Amino acid sequence: MKIEALGLEHFYGHEKVLNGVDIEILPGSFTAIIGESGSGKTTVLSILSTLLQPSLGSVRYDGKLLHELGNIDHFRQHNIGFVFQFHYLISYLTLRENIALAALDKTLIDPLMGSLGIERLGKRYSDEVSGGERQRAAIARALINHPSVVFADEPTGNLDTKNALGVYELFREFSHSGTGFVVASHDKKIADYADVIIEMEDGIVKQIHK
Amino acid sequence: MITPIKALRKNRFKTALIFISMSVSIAAIFLISAISGGVVSMYSAMLKTDGDIIVTQKGIADTFFSDINRSLSVSIEKMEGVKEASALILGAAPVDPLPIVGIYGASENRYKSYALKQGTYPKSGEVMLGSKIYETLKKPTKIALSKKTFVVSGVFKSRIGFEDGGVVMNLTDAGELFHKSASIFLISLDDLGKSDAIVAEINSLSSEIEAKTTESFIDSYNQFKIIKTSSDVIGAMAFLMGILGIVSMMSMVVNDRKGEFGIMRSIGLSSGTIIVKLLSETLIIAILAYTVALGASLGILEMIEHADKFQGYINGEITAALMIKVFIVSVTMALFGTLLPAVYASRIDPMSLIQRGGA
Repeated sequence: MKIEALGLEHFYGHEKVLNGVDIEILPGSFTAIIGESGSGKTTVLSILSTLLQPSLGSVRYDGKLLHELGNIDHFRQHNIGFVFQFHYLISYLTLRENIALAALDKTLIDPLMGSLGIERLGKRYSDEVSGGERQRAAIARALINHPSVVFADEPTGNLDTKNALGVYELFREFSHSGTGFVVASHDKKIADYADVIIEMEDGIVKQIHK
Repeated sequence: MITPIKALRKNRFKTALIFISMSVSIAAIFLISAISGGVVSMYSAMLKTDGDIIVTQKGIADTFFSDINRSLSVSIEKMEGVKEASALILGAAPVDPLPIVGIYGASENRYKSYALKQGTYPKSGEVMLGSKIYETLKKPTKIALSKKTFVVSGVFKSRIGFEDGGVVMNLTDAGELFHKSASIFLISLDDLGKSDAIVAEINSLSSEIEAKTTESFIDSYNQFKIIKTSSDVIGAMAFLMGILGIVSMMSMVVNDRKGEFGIMRSIGLSSGTIIVKLLSETLIIAILAYTVALGASLGILEMIEHADKFQGYINGEITAALMIKVFIVSVTMALFGTLLPAVYASRIDPMSLIQRGGA
């Protein structure tokens, strides 16, 4: 799915956090949005992922505006995956049940868990596995319906370097199979894995590296 | 169904609080309905014994205040279609050490409705006691009523708590005690089909009396209406308290589980799915609370029925109809109490997962 954002501006109260952002996300690309705290990267990610309406500007998904996409729940379920800084796994469900909660086709759960290296943890609860394994389960939940694009907000914020690099590796691997990734991060190591790097500063796009 | 049970087990403390709140409310509804229903049912059963038609003083609000001329029963008994007319005086007086006891003056033709366990039916200066009060008073041979002593001639057993905990004497003695001729007549008929005609004929005997079929009397009896209305009001209060308890607890539950509902929204689960999920959780609690409240209410009613303190006068009954009614009330309480918090949960913006930390 191609995503085009044009002239994005956004205010939190009277504070302007985006000041005219134009971004294009190509299908199946691994795009990193990097920048310091307050640069506006999370706001851009929230707008692109349909979670937030921009104060000004527009976002098109394969040429369609948000209100032209029909039921937003249905659109998200079929086209978008989310990975957050905190895994947000439901603590009373096993890792497999957490993934199953999102799954439209339950037969895909085990193969996906296998490809993420967490197949033997299916019956464990989130407090019984490591931080890296939790985030892999959260990634599996985001990928289970073969979304066109996965949005990740600081997905490695709570991980050590080894696990963080493992996550980037996974994103790159899955992007090769057609799923796009848009990742907001302040971790510059992501640059070694992403196809496109959008550098933000003070609410504008400072530079785009391809 | 596995997921709601897991969610309830995970949030044990709050689940327990909701469960307790609902159980107490449901038990309160059960008890007040059962006790008021029992009172009405007992008094109705007493009136229905050998009574197809009931005659009282005209315009009287309570049969205890009714005063009619007992000689009219002779004329009534001679009417075509009337099998038997018995007279009753209904009163209450202290019997040491009990502060209040039901006293029934009965014409002799009514004695047969009291199943004697021992002794004989009362003659002048005698009383027979219901088995409950006989035990409560430690099997007395005499009792004092209004400074007059009566010999206990016999003991009867009645399934009607008011009678089993009461004192029966002959009509003349009761008349002297309460300074009245009779409170009510109970008329039994040969043919119930003629009841309306006989009611009209009795009413024509005197402008001071009022005859009604017993069914019609029970339906319109003011005291029953007061009891039922009071019970409905208290039941409604318990229902509202139950709803408020659920709303406040479920609001806390939803707040604690914001991350969970936010992630559900982000993965595309519909608002309806989240609402149904929360409703099914409280429905499970409601069914458990209903079961426990029913058991507890049956136990409490059994204790009340056998407690000497209540002399058998409080005799609640939980009928199948009441069980169904309270079940519906319990489910409604759970659904109403959960609806607002559930709607709130279903509208949690997944943005909150980005803006706030922690699951």
